[in-house]
Amino acid sequence: MSETALDGLRILDLTQVAAGPYSTMLLGFMGAEVIKVESCSRMDINRGRARPAPGDTRVYPDGDPGERPWNRTAHHVHRNINKLAVTLDLGTPRGKELFFKLVRVCDVVIENYRGSVMDRLGLGYEALSRANPQIVYVKISSQGATGPEKDYGSLGSTLEQTAGLASITGYEGGPPLMTNETYPDPVVGFLAFGALMAALRRRRRKGRGCLVDLSQREATTLLLGEAILDYSANGRVAGTNGNRHRDMAPQGVYPCLGDDMWVAVSVSSEDEWHGLCRAINQTELELDPRFRDVGTRRGNHDALDDIISAWTRERDHYQIMHLLQAHGVPAGAVLKGSETIADPHLEARGFWDVVDHPEVGSYKQTTTPWILSKSPRLPAVPAPGLGEHNFQVLNGLLGLSAGEIEDLVESGITGDTPKMDE
Amino acid sequence: MESSDGILGDISVLDLSQGVAGPFCAKLLAGLGAEVIKIEQPGTGDPSRQAGPFMGSRRGLESSALFAYLNTSKKSVTLDLDIPSQVQALKKLAHDCDILVESFSPGHLESLELSYDVLSGTNPGLIYVSLTPFGQSGPYRDYKGSDIVAQAIGALMYTIGLPDREPLKVGGEAALYTTGVSAFSATMLALYVRDAQGFGQHVDISAMDVMTVAQIHSSIHYQFGRNPLRRETNLVQAKDGWVSPGLDTGVQEGTWPKVCQLIGLPGLVDDPRFTTPESRRANAQDLLGVVGEWAATKPKEEIYHTLQALRTITGYVATVEDLLASQQFADRGFFRPVEDPVLGEVVHPGPPFRIDDDPWRLSRAPQLGEHNEEVLGGHLGYSQEALAQINGQEDA
Repeated sequence: MSETALDGLRILDLTQVAAGPYSTMLLGFMGAEVIKVESCSRMDINRGRARPAPGDTRVYPDGDPGERPWNRTAHHVHRNINKLAVTLDLGTPRGKELFFKLVRVCDVVIENYRGSVMDRLGLGYEALSRANPQIVYVKISSQGATGPEKDYGSLGSTLEQTAGLASITGYEGGPPLMTNETYPDPVVGFLAFGALMAALRRRRRKGRGCLVDLSQREATTLLLGEAILDYSANGRVAGTNGNRHRDMAPQGVYPCLGDDMWVAVSVSSEDEWHGLCRAINQTELELDPRFRDVGTRRGNHDALDDIISAWTRERDHYQIMHLLQAHGVPAGAVLKGSETIADPHLEARGFWDVVDHPEVGSYKQTTTPWILSKSPRLPAVPAPGLGEHNFQVLNGLLGLSAGEIEDLVESGITGDTPKMDE
Repeated sequence: MESSDGILGDISVLDLSQGVAGPFCAKLLAGLGAEVIKIEQPGTGDPSRQAGPFMGSRRGLESSALFAYLNTSKKSVTLDLDIPSQVQALKKLAHDCDILVESFSPGHLESLELSYDVLSGTNPGLIYVSLTPFGQSGPYRDYKGSDIVAQAIGALMYTIGLPDREPLKVGGEAALYTTGVSAFSATMLALYVRDAQGFGQHVDISAMDVMTVAQIHSSIHYQFGRNPLRRETNLVQAKDGWVSPGLDTGVQEGTWPKVCQLIGLPGLVDDPRFTTPESRRANAQDLLGVVGEWAATKPKEEIYHTLQALRTITGYVATVEDLLASQQFADRGFFRPVEDPVLGEVVHPGPPFRIDDDPWRLSRAPQLGEHNEEVLGGHLGYSQEALAQINGQEDA
């Protein structure tokens, strides 16, 4: 198979921060040509500030912003792989004109600004569709393209709140908590990919493009389906339940040997319960009336947790996982960032790509949440510097001469250096 | 042909999966108009039929809210995979379908001669989607999983929770749902390839892979020299719940003075702890203290709307009750009533995205074996006697 999955598909990518860039990163892995559009005065927020202030919280390699900090933030380096980077000032008539030219030679426009931003710039779906009726426009927004909150701002962490996910995340009976991974962002990044594939199938069947309206809040609320039905049918409002489970016991994370090391264990059947008792060499527990069935194990969960913790505390989290799994018990070491890049299973599956980034050096990159047997992903291409592909795109794709591009640089419409007056 | 104008109106899906991830993937395919035939074990069905929460006072195979949510718009057919003649029926269905979704342990379907290699021999366009905790290859491939195990091994949960407590999982079945989303998108990708290039293929979805892609900070931050840890929350208590004021990241110049006016402390404008986004971040706990005093007297949604109007990035913790009362959701018609045989109607979340004005299909989950006659009799031409035999096993 010489063709990649998305061979010939060209994406105009206006997304920034997390959900959108994650989606276009995946499109790049599968063979799409992704053209990331920024401007020198409005870079992707992932790039941080042109001159980081003291105390800037963004993450640079070894804390060093370097000569061009905007090409070195962890967020940018990690999320903007597999893309070409072009700068165009979309606030100027010439910048807009060139943007429309790009729209005419692309299949997809994808953006995740606040709801009305593109319309205000005169770059909404209607306008782009007039320029190219084949265009598929993927609009990822906080709240969706319509409704009273359509222009509200959000971050992954606030979406966890407004979508209800935080209300069911927290220690047992404790206050709501958010993830520190802006969880709705990767989820929406994955989902937007499928939404786009659906829209492209529709285009193939109907012969024209369409608008995809994806609300991050709605998409996140899909993760609470059974709680929504429970409230609708029973009036029950789901709350925080820690690491425990409605139908499984025991379930939790247990302390292991070493500093802040843990293992997660779930017991979903009587077979698994007996396996656990055998694995920890305490088969007398199988006869203990407190732990006779899942109901009593739930009722005596604290006592059971103490017994399991006393055993796990003396052991390595990976060793516990392997031992419990050998006894048919679902278990997983709670991996840290440092451990996941060294995990032998992910290594054996070829999960990580080693990327040699010209301004950062070598690091291990997350790849795709799927493996297709006949359409392998492409190797990760390092995240581009600001405006790195201006010539390639403006000349190669739009046919501008070197002189014309020089004029654009002169007038500040394109370039490879941020405007420093921010 | 039902919904033949849907994006997947010409696509048939055989859903052999159980639990959360696989059924969620197939539910999304059904929403786009695919005909999804769910194969279940006679008598017991998908184990999620026996998982809570249950609706109303009923118990039993037709009252699980989890099952009812995950299996909308599907047909249910019971086949016993321990009986060779019924495995044969499954093979016939697999021969004719476009997409097969399964979540058995790696190798299990191979033992029934239902592997991708066997089925693709007679059905080369087949897209065969396998969802497992650890994937089809690698040293952990036979390991068992669960939602919390996926969140642990995928390096997601280590950073969730408070610094002095154990790592905390995202609530509900978040990892399994996300695995289902990945499977859905990968299936749509494989279908794109089939439409464009003419062949089917095997899609390998590992919950561990999915979670490791979903951790978007831990692995890269560690490699850049900062070890991400669990940290304090930035929620403050409102009169009736929790809000995050959102006054640091992404806030425009000029917003902070307006906030000071709003909370009745105009003198705060010149307080050096709070004059820039950086200083507000650095003094986050002080800031939460100041704003918290004001917030404690106001309803959370009022705070949310008032501060958002000043272009802050404020959040409020919505409970499921709040979600169903949200004006934003109502305006977009996100929640939708779905028929329930006993309760009349139950509210479900609606479409994950909208494509122009295409409809999103959402009809109630099937009862166990509800479509045996239609599918086995209609599609496969089973006799009444053969059907009676299969149906009879359900009552056993």
